[in-house]
Amino acid sequence: MRFPTRLLAANLWVAFFAWAAYLVLVIVITLAIHFFGNLTQSAWEQAGQLPRWVVLFVGVAMVRQFLPLFIANGQTRRQFGFQAAITTALYTPFVALLMSAGYLVERVLYTIIDRPQSLERAHLYTDPTQVPLVFLEHTVEFMAWITAGMFMGAGFYRWQAGGLLTIPVGVGLVVLGLSAVGARFGVPMSGFSLGFRIPAGPVLTLVMGLGTFALGLLLTWSVIRDTPLRNGG
Amino acid sequence: MRIEARDLVLRYGEVTALDRLTFELEGGKIYGLLGRNGSGKTSLMSVLSAFRKQSAGSVLLDGAPVWENPAVTSAVSLIRDAGESVDLGTAADALYFAEWLRPTWDAAYAKELMELFGLQPKANVKAMSKGQRSAMGVVVGLASRAPLTMFDESYLGMDAPSRHAFYDALLADYMAHPRTIILSTHLIEEVSPMFEEVVVIDRGRLIVHEETERLLARGHAVTGAAAAVDGFVTGLTVLGEKVLGPTKSAMVYGELDAAHRRKAAEAGLTLGPIAMQELFIHLTGGPK
Amino acid sequence: MFDDRSPIYRQIAEHIKADVLSEALKGDEQVMSTNQYAAFYRINPATAAKAFQQLVDEGVLYKKRGIGMFVSPDARDALRAGRREGFFTDVVDPMVNEAKAIGISLDDVIERIKGEM
Repeated sequence: MRFPTRLLAANLWVAFFAWAAYLVLVIVITLAIHFFGNLTQSAWEQAGQLPRWVVLFVGVAMVRQFLPLFIANGQTRRQFGFQAAITTALYTPFVALLMSAGYLVERVLYTIIDRPQSLERAHLYTDPTQVPLVFLEHTVEFMAWITAGMFMGAGFYRWQAGGLLTIPVGVGLVVLGLSAVGARFGVPMSGFSLGFRIPAGPVLTLVMGLGTFALGLLLTWSVIRDTPLRNGG
Repeated sequence: MRIEARDLVLRYGEVTALDRLTFELEGGKIYGLLGRNGSGKTSLMSVLSAFRKQSAGSVLLDGAPVWENPAVTSAVSLIRDAGESVDLGTAADALYFAEWLRPTWDAAYAKELMELFGLQPKANVKAMSKGQRSAMGVVVGLASRAPLTMFDESYLGMDAPSRHAFYDALLADYMAHPRTIILSTHLIEEVSPMFEEVVVIDRGRLIVHEETERLLARGHAVTGAAAAVDGFVTGLTVLGEKVLGPTKSAMVYGELDAAHRRKAAEAGLTLGPIAMQELFIHLTGGPK
Repeated sequence: MFDDRSPIYRQIAEHIKADVLSEALKGDEQVMSTNQYAAFYRINPATAAKAFQQLVDEGVLYKKRGIGMFVSPDARDALRAGRREGFFTDVVDPMVNEAKAIGISLDDVIERIKGEM
């Protein structure tokens, strides 16, 4: 099996420029709030909503666009599945890194304009400069969102409207990812640690996050392993 | 690339697209795959390229099964109307991935073909005209240099000058890099001179597999006085008849020996060839 | 005349024969390759090769291994002899039949021919 150089490169390239443009936009908005309103918290934290959806759609496109392209160019579904898994496994931490960098850029900005970069919601991290934790949370979240996208993308590609039935499962993956992070939904499984003595915190998040990612990949594989290419566009 | 299909069946729910199709192609030739709409041409090519898994039966390329077999699939290229080979951002993007995925890709040739068809690398493929999009498919299909290359009518979206440029490029590249090529088409008269062999399927079954020249040699238009024509064709396979006043023309399918020819001459009948298109129409049961 | 070969097949053979008769192709001269003919007529090279093979069988062309096809030194004479043989049945008889059918007297025909000669 080959390393998916070009698939990864193309996605990272797009992600980087999208991030750079988005960062500029967020800074402009931040400054606008600062000058015309009252800037009391991190804008980048709020801005973090959109990238999840982008990552989800990258997952959808991974199947919707690249699966047919790869098969039409003589790859097997297994080869594609392998390449998509490697690509998403590296793409998500890359985007997480960009998100972490966004906080750092913001910190510089907030220092200059002398504003508190406080967080509104509970996170793994309590300060945006705790890079390893910021990175971990985003990686785990994005891994859940991207596999949810791939799974639903595969469902819609294969069954058209029947793909609607994959949405609850996709939502389930996202919820799993969020619970792994312990944000918003709480951590339903932190109380009982499956017999292992895993302390709640980064390690549990990592384990649950990777588990969610693996589950999402397996679910996606179960749909694409024998999917026919569509006859229509 | 040798192609063997045995009792090949493909069903879409209740519909049987390929119905125990069995045939063998020796490979290394340009084949014409002919059939009416819904005859199973696209289904057959989809199975040959592992775009779809057959419901039953087997298909072997150089003796190896196709489905999920990377050694085989990497040697097969199918270009269809659906455009999965090219629909990815810009033309350059599509070539970027084809180059990476195709072990036999010829980038210089792809560039040459892009220029031949006047395609812009920066152009978005989905925003291209139908003809340009078809031409993109041709570029990817030819530059892949896959040992088994199939074009499923996709090139019909191109205008006549572009189609001729495609035929010229296809022939030149086939002669320079011999490989197995399968073309399905509705423009039979235009494309059939390029076929070395013809495969005709109808309702998912094989009707004819024959060398083009031999197939053409089997079709005869017998023309003359109606009674004389009727007498002559008794016992022969008659595909169709046309009557104009006292004159009748019957299309006969099969080899005619010297005795037949003598008999025809004595009865004052003329024997003429039948065009591929006409043969095809009658072999697949006339207009429906 | 019975000919079941496809028109394009015949066209190539006739084209070469005509070139030989007109001496556009001379004895021992190399003819274009099957691939060149295939590209020119936009046909399958195997079809062109068969037309060539037939000309080889008829003695019009001969093959030099690895080099190509050449015109037989006696091809023109043989073709002329063959055409001469068929001249009356293939050319004169149909003309006479046509003249009769449309009411032109044979004397007129002969006069015309003499005038041309």
